[in-house]
Amino acid sequence: MTEDGKFFAWLDGELGPAEAADMEAKVAADEQLQQLAEQHRALRAQLRGAFDPIAAAPVPDQLTIHPSAKVIDFAAAKRVRLPSLPQWSAMAATLVLGLFLGTKVPQHGSSLVAVKDGRLYAASALNHSLDTELASAPRGDVRIGLTFRDHSGEVCRSFTASAASGLACRSDGHWRLKGLFGAPEGQGGDYRMAAGMDPNLAALVDSTMAGEPFDAAAERAAKKEGWR
Amino acid sequence: MDQLLSFEDQLSALLPRLRRFAHALSRDPADADDLTQATIERALRSRDQWQPGTKLDSWCYRIMRNLWIDTARTRARRNRREAPEEEGLTVGEDPRESMDAAVDLKKIMVAMSQLPDEQREIVALILIEGFGYREVSEMLGLPIGTVSSRLVRGRTALLAMVGEQ
Repeated sequence: MTEDGKFFAWLDGELGPAEAADMEAKVAADEQLQQLAEQHRALRAQLRGAFDPIAAAPVPDQLTIHPSAKVIDFAAAKRVRLPSLPQWSAMAATLVLGLFLGTKVPQHGSSLVAVKDGRLYAASALNHSLDTELASAPRGDVRIGLTFRDHSGEVCRSFTASAASGLACRSDGHWRLKGLFGAPEGQGGDYRMAAGMDPNLAALVDSTMAGEPFDAAAERAAKKEGWR
Repeated sequence: MDQLLSFEDQLSALLPRLRRFAHALSRDPADADDLTQATIERALRSRDQWQPGTKLDSWCYRIMRNLWIDTARTRARRNRREAPEEEGLTVGEDPRESMDAAVDLKKIMVAMSQLPDEQREIVALILIEGFGYREVSEMLGLPIGTVSSRLVRGRTALLAMVGEQ
């Protein structure tokens, strides 16, 4: 430790007894050091004086941890079952309007989702991405995550757009949406987790997938086969 | 005693201190509360990684500090073309006012803002939060000599800015 470092370590009570006694004697014999010690004690008091009221103030309500605080927990998300289909479709349709109207996904058609016979299907740019994009060669604003087969043998693909992520599976030559999840509220910008799927989507993928996800070669081959 | 409290209760008890540290790191009340919120969420999500028997406060402070580094990095990229806020804050201030005994939070914040990040966090952890050198060295994964020298530089610069009495 430098001499300066030692002086401050003494001031902060960080020296052992012998070293502290040495420094104590040194300071006692040196007026400049005494003055410096005083100034730094005052600085510390100023810092505490300025910041301690923050710790003494009541914590804002929104920061209080309630026992029921929502924790994003993969296992827990898995246990949550999706509501039955008609109810879910209506909910998803609402979500879709809200989310996809606000996305920056380039749209040539009007909506990224089409409703047909009460079922949701990928449309326009989303449909195009699901048809053509490879996870191994990402382009554009819709990113493809996993491609795999479900328990009935159909190809499914997870995707992420700027405000939502979801899962679509082949059904009669179209991409039928199995789930669509919005980015969680309050996770805008800075603190968004860089990696990781929405836990609800992860749970849906987990329960839908039969076997292993496709690797790059299997994904390319499936594309060539028209996702059959 | 701590063993009898739930993880949430212990975390809850730490919130006032974590908020104080968040203010020192971010120097902005709204950012500080966002940072505290993000820290709570990360801590709850990662609770399995905390080893009971080790200090929960050090663990949470480290989470907060790492989140702040990520944020600051993102923000630096975004704000590259904007003038630093500190410049605006110091314009027109009479330096003699800083000589007053009652240096308020705002002035301290302005001074703290002038410190490089790596000095500010150590000044905050040791001089404001009251951690020991060794705890901070373990928390930040830095040699104790580095902690000591950054602290010397940071507090010396601060003293020059807030004024001797």
